[in-house]
Amino acid sequence: MTVAAGLGYALIALGPAFSLFAGVVARKPFLVLTLLSSTLFWLISLIVLSGIWRGFLPIKSGTWWAYAILIITSVALQEGTRLVFWRLYKKMEEMLDAFADRISKPRLSLTDKMLISLAGGLGHGVAHAVFFCLSLLTPAFGRATFYVERCSKMPFFLASALIALGFLVIHTFSMIIAFNAYDEKKKCDQIVVPVVHLAAAVMTLVNLAPGGCLIGTPLLLVMAALTLQYCWRVACRRLTEHQHRQLNDN
Amino acid sequence: MDPAAASPAPAPAAEEPRSDASLLDALGGEVLAVMSPVSICMALVVLLISLLSPPSSGSAAGGSPPPVTAATLVYLESPTDTPAQKFVGALLDAAVFVALVAVVTFVLVALYYYRCTGFLKNYMRFSAFFVIFSMGGAIAAAVLRRLAAPLDAPTAFLLLFNGAAVGVLSVFASAVPILVRQGYMVALAVIVAAWLSRLPEWTTWIMLVALALYDLVAVLAPRGPLRMLVELASSRDDELPALVYESRPTVGPATSSSSYASAMGSVEMQTMADSGRVGGSRYDRVEQDEDASSAVVEMRDLGRGRSNIGETNRSGGSVLPVTSTDLPSNQIGSSQHAVIQIEQSEEAETAPLVSAASSNNAASDEEQRQSSSSEPMDFEMFESTRGIKLGLGDFVFYSVLVGRAAMYDLMTVYACYLGIIAGLGCTLILLSICRHALPALPISIMLGVTFYFLTRLLMEPFVVGASTNLVMF
Repeated sequence: MTVAAGLGYALIALGPAFSLFAGVVARKPFLVLTLLSSTLFWLISLIVLSGIWRGFLPIKSGTWWAYAILIITSVALQEGTRLVFWRLYKKMEEMLDAFADRISKPRLSLTDKMLISLAGGLGHGVAHAVFFCLSLLTPAFGRATFYVERCSKMPFFLASALIALGFLVIHTFSMIIAFNAYDEKKKCDQIVVPVVHLAAAVMTLVNLAPGGCLIGTPLLLVMAALTLQYCWRVACRRLTEHQHRQLNDN
Repeated sequence: MDPAAASPAPAPAAEEPRSDASLLDALGGEVLAVMSPVSICMALVVLLISLLSPPSSGSAAGGSPPPVTAATLVYLESPTDTPAQKFVGALLDAAVFVALVAVVTFVLVALYYYRCTGFLKNYMRFSAFFVIFSMGGAIAAAVLRRLAAPLDAPTAFLLLFNGAAVGVLSVFASAVPILVRQGYMVALAVIVAAWLSRLPEWTTWIMLVALALYDLVAVLAPRGPLRMLVELASSRDDELPALVYESRPTVGPATSSSSYASAMGSVEMQTMADSGRVGGSRYDRVEQDEDASSAVVEMRDLGRGRSNIGETNRSGGSVLPVTSTDLPSNQIGSSQHAVIQIEQSEEAETAPLVSAASSNNAASDEEQRQSSSSEPMDFEMFESTRGIKLGLGDFVFYSVLVGRAAMYDLMTVYACYLGIIAGLGCTLILLSICRHALPALPISIMLGVTFYFLTRLLMEPFVVGASTNLVMF
C-alpha cells in the first residue's frame, strides 16, 4: 500500500525497539555487541528448530494441534537458549570483573547488569520482529495490501506488526526478569518467564480460528503490558533494595 | 567540619556515574567503529539491489545480462543449464578468477618490491576515479531511471565528475576530513559490490568461497603474496599500500597513511605503540632494534592506569584488518583479501625509541631509521591511524554476499548479515589471541554462506508457514 504504509507497519513493529536502541543501547558500544550476539543466538535457535521441524512441514491448516506442538517445542527451545545465554553471560561477567580489577576500575554495577540484560532481551525481540514480521513486509511497499482468509477484518501486515510488537516487549522485558531471577535465585520469577512466553505463544493459536485475530492480537498486547508492568516492579524492587544496601554499607 | 563532612557525600555520588560510565563505555568501541561502516555498506548495497533489480531469483527477463568479466570468462551461466553444468562451470569460473587475482597480487608485490611507488600511486588514483565516475555513474543512471527522476546530462556529468574528483582527493590526501574519507571508502565499496553482484548466482557463491580459501592461503602460507607484502612493508617500516577504511581520524597535516599510492597489498601491519608516558592524543611508533624486518606488535595495556580511556579508546588490542583492493576494470579481476592484524602497545621501558609514522618516499625512510636511533621524539604531527582499519576488499565481498542474499529474500539478508558480523567478531577475537596477520574473509564468508543456505532451505518454509498463519512465538 505504498512506501508510507510499509514504513508505518515496520515502525509499528520496531518503533519502541528503535527508541530503546537509540536511547539506551547505542550509547554504550558493549551493549550493541550484546544485542548483536543475542540476536545471533535467537537466529541459531530458530535454525535448529526449523531443522527439527523441516520434515513435518507443511502443516495442514486444519490441524491446530500440530501448531500447538510446534509452539510448545519452540518455546521450550527458546527458553533453553535463554538459559544458555545466561550461562555465557555469567562467564563473561566474571571475565569483565577480572578485567576491571586488573585495570583498577570498578566492577559491573547492578545498573550495568540490568542494561546488559535489557540489551540481550532487545536482541531477542528485534530478531523475532525481523524474522517474523519484517521479512514478509516487502509486499506492503507495493500498491495493494493483503488479507488472510481467517483474518478478513485486519490487513495481514497490521496483524503481524502488532503481534511482533507484543512479542518484542515480552522478549525484552522477560529477559530482564529472567536475569534478575537467575541472579537472585527466585524460583517464582524463574517460572514466570517461560509461562508468560508460553501463554503468549499459545494465544497466537487463537489466530487460527476464523476472525480470531481480532481477539488474539489485543490479548497479546495485554500480555505484553502485563510483562512490562511486572518487569517494572521487579526492577524497582531490586534497585531500591540495592540502594538501601549501599546506603547501609556507607 | 562542614567541608569535611560535605566532601565525602558528593564524592560517592560523583564517582558513581563516572564509574558506571567507564567499564561498559570503554569496551567494544573500536569493534563497533568497524562494524558500523560494514553494516552501512551492506545496507546500501541491499537497498541498491532491491531498487535496481527486483529481489526475485533468477528472472532473466527483467534483469540485464550479466557482465562479461573475469569471473565469467570460462562459463557464462544461463538458466537453461542443468545444475551439474552450472556447478562445474562455476567452479571453473572461480578457479580462473582466483588465479587472476593471485597473479595480479604477485605483480603488485613485485612492483612494490621494486619501489615503483609512482606507478602504483597513479594507478590507484586512476582506479578510484574510474570506479566512481564510470561504474558509479552507471549505477546512478540506473537509479535515476528507476525512480524516474529528471536530471539533465550536463548537470549529471558535472556532479559526477566533481564527486569523483573529491573522491580521488579524499582517498589519498591527508587534509580531508575523516568523515569524507570514510564516506568515499564506503561509496567505493558499495559501487564495486553492486557491480559484482550482477554475476550469475552459482558463480557468485563459488567465487566467494574460493576467494575466502585463497585469502586464507595467501595470508597464512609462508610464500603467500599477502604475507610477503606485510613483511616487505614492515621491513621498510612503511605502511601498506592499500585502500583501507580507517575508523579513527588521522591527526595532523602530513599523515602518511592516507598518502598511499599503491592499490595492492592485502596485509597491513602497523606497528603502533602507545608509549604510556604521554597523553592519549599522541601516537608514537615503536621499533624493535633487532628485528627490523618483522612487525612489532604491542599490546595496549589498559592497566597502566590511563585516565582517558574514553577518548583515546585504545582498549584491548586494536585490530587492523586491512585488505588490498585492486579496483576492477572490466577486464581485470579484483585482488581483494583481508588481513587482520593486531597492534598492541608495549610498555614504555621496552620501547624507548619512537619514530614517526612513515611516509612514502625513501628519503623519509632513511630519516626514520636515523631518528629511530636517536632519542625519543614526539611527533605530534605524524600520527598514523589508530584504531581499527579494515580493507575495502572485506567490505566489498561481505556486501556481495549480502547482495546476493538480497536477491532471494529479506530473511536471508538478515541471516547472512548476522553471520558476517559474527564472523567479523570471531576474527577480531582470534586476532587478539594470535598476534599476527589473519585473513578477515574466511570465517565471515563461511558463516554467511552457511547461514544463507540453512535459512533458505530450512528456516524459510518454517517461519513463513508459521507467520502467514499468524502463529508466532
